[in-house]
Amino acid sequence: MALVACFVLVTGLWPLIRLFALALGPGETGEPLGLLRETLSGRAFGRALGNTLASSGGSVVISAALGTALALATGLLRLPGQALLGFLALSPLLIPSQIMALAWIELMGSGSAVLGALGLAPAPGSRNPLYSGAGVAWLMGIEHMPLVFIAVRARLAGLPLDLIEAARIGGAGPARILRRIVLPLTLPSVAAGSVLAFAAAVGNFGVPALLGIPGRFPVLTTLIYQRLNGFGPGVIGSVAAMALVLVALAAAALILRQLVLRWTAVPVPAGRSFTGFERGRWHWPLTAAVWAVLVALSVLPIVALATTALVPALGVPFGLGTATLRNFEAVLANPAIRRAFANSFMLAGAAGLVSAVVALPIAWLSLTARNPLARVLSWLAEPAHVVPGTVLALAMILAYLRPLPLLGVSIYSTGAILLIAYLGRFLPLALRPVEAALSASDPALDEAARIHGVPPLRRMLGIAVPAALPAMAAGALVIFMTAINELTLSALLWSAGNETIGVQIFSLQYEGNSTAAAALSVLALAAVAMLVMAADRLGRRLPPGALPWRVAQDQPGRTTSPR
Amino acid sequence: MTKMHFAALGLIALGAPALAAPSGTITVYTSQPQDQMAMVVEAFNKDYPDVEVEIFRTGTTELMSKLQAEFTAGSTPADVLLIADAVAMTQLKQDDRLLAHPEAPIEGIPESVIDPDRTFFGTKLITTGIVYNTGMVQAPPQGWDDLRAPDVAGSLIMPSPLYSGAATIHVGTMVQQPEFGWGYYEALADAGAVAGQGNGTVIEAVARGEKSYGIIIEYMAMNAKKDGSPVDFVWPDQGVSSITQPVAILKDSDNVEAARAFVDWQLSRAAQEQSVTQGYFPIIAGVAPPEGYPDPATLNILPLDAAALMADDQANKEQFAELFGG
Repeated sequence: MALVACFVLVTGLWPLIRLFALALGPGETGEPLGLLRETLSGRAFGRALGNTLASSGGSVVISAALGTALALATGLLRLPGQALLGFLALSPLLIPSQIMALAWIELMGSGSAVLGALGLAPAPGSRNPLYSGAGVAWLMGIEHMPLVFIAVRARLAGLPLDLIEAARIGGAGPARILRRIVLPLTLPSVAAGSVLAFAAAVGNFGVPALLGIPGRFPVLTTLIYQRLNGFGPGVIGSVAAMALVLVALAAAALILRQLVLRWTAVPVPAGRSFTGFERGRWHWPLTAAVWAVLVALSVLPIVALATTALVPALGVPFGLGTATLRNFEAVLANPAIRRAFANSFMLAGAAGLVSAVVALPIAWLSLTARNPLARVLSWLAEPAHVVPGTVLALAMILAYLRPLPLLGVSIYSTGAILLIAYLGRFLPLALRPVEAALSASDPALDEAARIHGVPPLRRMLGIAVPAALPAMAAGALVIFMTAINELTLSALLWSAGNETIGVQIFSLQYEGNSTAAAALSVLALAAVAMLVMAADRLGRRLPPGALPWRVAQDQPGRTTSPR
Repeated sequence: MTKMHFAALGLIALGAPALAAPSGTITVYTSQPQDQMAMVVEAFNKDYPDVEVEIFRTGTTELMSKLQAEFTAGSTPADVLLIADAVAMTQLKQDDRLLAHPEAPIEGIPESVIDPDRTFFGTKLITTGIVYNTGMVQAPPQGWDDLRAPDVAGSLIMPSPLYSGAATIHVGTMVQQPEFGWGYYEALADAGAVAGQGNGTVIEAVARGEKSYGIIIEYMAMNAKKDGSPVDFVWPDQGVSSITQPVAILKDSDNVEAARAFVDWQLSRAAQEQSVTQGYFPIIAGVAPPEGYPDPATLNILPLDAAALMADDQANKEQFAELFGG
């Protein structure tokens, strides 16, 4: 118990507490809350806050519109290629935001091979339209669209057949059923998903870093990053105050989500679920439209990225005559990039494995042994996951920059600080599925063992582990896939010898070496694709909802709340 | 290990310089592009196979912040610094962070690029000039004043001193010249010129055709041209600013011997010849510049008062940010 409490404390809670204490501390003149007041009245802060709200707000409109439309289309119409469509709609969840941003930069630039082939490329001499606030909003909108999509699909899966049948008997056509029954029932899910998308957008770093920094559109996460990198640790107090505002925005959104869910909870009759409308004359045009949208959003940017990875230098048009694998060779020959692959695999693997192992005793103590402290602990693991990544990274620097007491050495600029941050960030991704698995398992076995005097440790290993093992494996896998391309924490915490893949892509782009950045992105995506396939194999033996992209295909009635 | 020892013994027996070969790991903090540094380490390891070199690469301004953070944390893993400009080095020297290396092999290297106290040594000559997109520009600009034309300035991008060490020196040099001064930058800003971040963002925009003209360090433009990008570079007849990419050893290096070996190698003829293949002007006499580059002796290098620039550094950055945004 003490051990797992220490774990939660060290990997997130204590650094965050220190950060907030600093942010709420007195300013230079010593007045209470002075630091917060000074920072919040700064001009740069005001602009970044305005930009954050505007781009996040804009992105939510896009996420909600796209997510709802795609969920309704794929959920209510029996379209050909249903499973693949669902996967494409969820693919933005699997593609790290910095790679997504790079891919769209390649797609929308005046030299775009894809748009060029269609005759749609912007005129030479015009700036890439994505380097702007609208570009940031558009891309974050697409990236967080799956959050709305999942929420709506989950609700549609539980749509009662009886209601629809009754309407049909009453003579209502599909349009009327959609307007009068389906939409009112799904609107709360749209709202809940949108609020989640807002919280995600407020904390997003990858998209505004690659589009907003060149576009001179600072948001809070990039302002914190730039301040810290441009001025050093002396400014940690004022960036801590900015971090507090970020946390407040995210927290407000999550509280709002809870309220929306509570206010709009509608008792839906149990029974068979509606599985979709019959084919009508609108069937083929709609099918074509859904496919076109998803291919444009999920496939074309990746194609554009791949063409850039294959040209010998920027500005050279892509073609069979110019295509070369030189960028891939250069990337793979670079020892720093090879080390980044090794580091990311090791960090992500360790984060997944350790989190899964730690999740078990926390879940077991709080659920099976009904330890109230453990229940609090399970709840306390959440903040490090919910706060924007930039905030957690900042807290880590604050807590671990100076040499540790007793040991006398600092873990700053070692791999340890990255691992600790990853562990704090991703623990809930393993903890929640393990808790779900344990609470779904039969308590009688443990009761029986307890009555017979079997000690707790043996009960946990002998009874809980077999029940929770698939969930532990799934949690570890999801963490591995999320952490392998992590950028937000790494960008502030990396050091010589401790590069990660995400940081390398980001740095190559900033060196003006976009062709190498594109090649590395393609390699990173290939790694993710292999992991998805491996996980999908395993996923058939997992409880429904354990893998985020299977949610849409899982049985109706199951709802999970991914993040 | 034992094999290496035997090899070393063999070398000594053959009459090679009787020095104990440096070994262990050193960490180099640099602002030179990653792919170039990978080649530098490879070549260095031919001469010093027992030294493992780790590279940490980012812009000079960011590197300095990282160093500050690490000094606060107690120590830095860095042993050697190889960064864009002498101004940043001088700051570190004044903070007593650099280790003097009086025995450095400085033969043939101009005294002007070496710190008199032998704490840092220029390794290259890097000039800043004008890049343009050959697909979009018919009449290439010849000098800085050609950039003032409204249709030129309206499609011009430059690196920002808030990110790049070379840009810090370039802006500092330009505003010290009576014929340019801040008035020059005001004219550019008024006509619609913009600032990116580092030099990387400039070559990116010009090669992609988002901008027609850019102010940039020469090797980035010339290397992109060599790789096939539709760009070309002009050394303006009104003069160029220059930086020297100095190398230095940090005082709290835990492998001074290997760090010295790296610095010595950077100043060697082999390193200079490699620099030339990477698109840099050589700094020692008798090494020919890269193909397509002018003879460095014919370059008109604008004079720079480094002490004044140090004093004005912060004010310059603020003034620049005022004109072109953060």
